[in-house]
Amino acid sequence: MICCKECLDLLYDYIEGSLDQETTDSLEEHFQECPPCISFMKTYKSTTTICRDTLNQVQVPDAVREALLKVLKENKEHPGEN
Amino acid sequence: MSFTQPKEDKKLEEALVREFQGGNLEAYDKIAEIYQKKIYGLSFNLTRNQMDAQDVTQEVLLTLFRKIHTFQGKSAFSSWVYRITLNASYMKLRSKKKEPNVSIDELMPSFNGAGFQQEKIQDWSENTESLLFTNETRDVINKAIDLLPEKEKVVFLLRDVEGLSTEKAGEILDLTVPAVKSRLHRARLFLRKKLANYFEEFTSRKVEK
Repeated sequence: MICCKECLDLLYDYIEGSLDQETTDSLEEHFQECPPCISFMKTYKSTTTICRDTLNQVQVPDAVREALLKVLKENKEHPGEN
Repeated sequence: MSFTQPKEDKKLEEALVREFQGGNLEAYDKIAEIYQKKIYGLSFNLTRNQMDAQDVTQEVLLTLFRKIHTFQGKSAFSSWVYRITLNASYMKLRSKKKEPNVSIDELMPSFNGAGFQQEKIQDWSENTESLLFTNETRDVINKAIDLLPEKEKVVFLLRDVEGLSTEKAGEILDLTVPAVKSRLHRARLFLRKKLANYFEEFTSRKVEK
């Protein structure tokens, strides 16, 4: 029977699906008896999703895009001056 | 969860790089278009500053133009671009006064002698949707990411935000796969703890209503 500490150590590989069957079984056995670890697993997973969705919203502002285009164009016409 | 570059994209990209190495400037424009958003996004998330991200993007795109002949194709082209982007972003960060990082160890889970979790763990995973794109939530998330030590932050950005594989993140950062995994796990634990404070409060507010 594994404890919470071992459970959290295995979480990464469990979510990746890279644990062997025996370890997966004992981890799931722990989950059945330990609701806090289920909550932990779920919130660990959604942490990644929430952060990814938020940080991926970064867009190149139009002004930056235009400035970059200008620099790249100048660079192509006169390489080495920027 | 991990994202791998589709084969066709990779082939197209390799062809573009070869064409550009052969002197085709239109190929360069396409490469710059493909990578502009990735370079800007990663450098913005590292520096949190629009001017810095713009400088980094410009510098990286010019470096690609000037140094393309030094790219030998031993690793993927994208790994090369990411590495140049990280180095340019670090230069920006080094030139600034650094806020002291909080100790990541203090926010790791704690256990009692029998190995059971000591704190009360709430499940707020179902309550994040309505809050996701509010300004308050975005601030909380950005602040939490800012507090991550650089070693953990860069692994989190490459692997979980950019969606690269563990192997590829290791190649870019010159780290072994176990080292990438361990840093990523610590980053996720740290961020989970930081977000828990915020979302748990929201969850209890909702229950009281």
